[in-house]
Amino acid sequence: MKKNSSLAFAKKKKSCPFQATNTKHIDYKDVDLLKQFITDRGKILPRRITGVSQYYQRHLKMAIKKARYVALLPFVTEE
Amino acid sequence: MKNKLYEGMYVLSATLGEESRKKALDKILHGITEKGGEIHKIHDMGRKKLAYEIRGKKEGYYFLLYFSVTPGAIIELWREYNLHEDMIRFMTLAAEEVKETLDFKPLKSAN
Repeated sequence: MKKNSSLAFAKKKKSCPFQATNTKHIDYKDVDLLKQFITDRGKILPRRITGVSQYYQRHLKMAIKKARYVALLPFVTEE
Repeated sequence: MKNKLYEGMYVLSATLGEESRKKALDKILHGITEKGGEIHKIHDMGRKKLAYEIRGKKEGYYFLLYFSVTPGAIIELWREYNLHEDMIRFMTLAAEEVKETLDFKPLKSAN
């Protein structure tokens, strides 16, 4: 019984989607991909939620910021 | 100095007509070749809605160029671009390779 309940609340380990596909480079022009890692308001989602590895989160961050500068992605979205 | 490969993204005003947009692009291309640069590829990304308003403009016409110039010349190019009236935004980055297509593979969800 005790074992079962602890399993039910166990954190499921998320795997990095970029490591899974062995991505070499995250391109800032790939807007559809970047949109998966920002919120509706345009904020970058934390690693804690998306499961992206530290290495790729850093590259993702740079790509999002480049895309924002050329107005492919918003800095903020007002409701 | 040796030429380096760059990729430049240019956002031109969407209010320009066909003719004047071509002229504006020619001006960019001419500026690069004038400085001893070489154009490798021109991607016409078309008219896009800007994610936010820039100087009262809501739409832009996107071009992506792959070219090689000397690092010194690129600074002179920036100065020219800042005086370019029809250019809403530009961004030049060092590139590693010339991309022939702009298609991207969708990321498979690894759940």
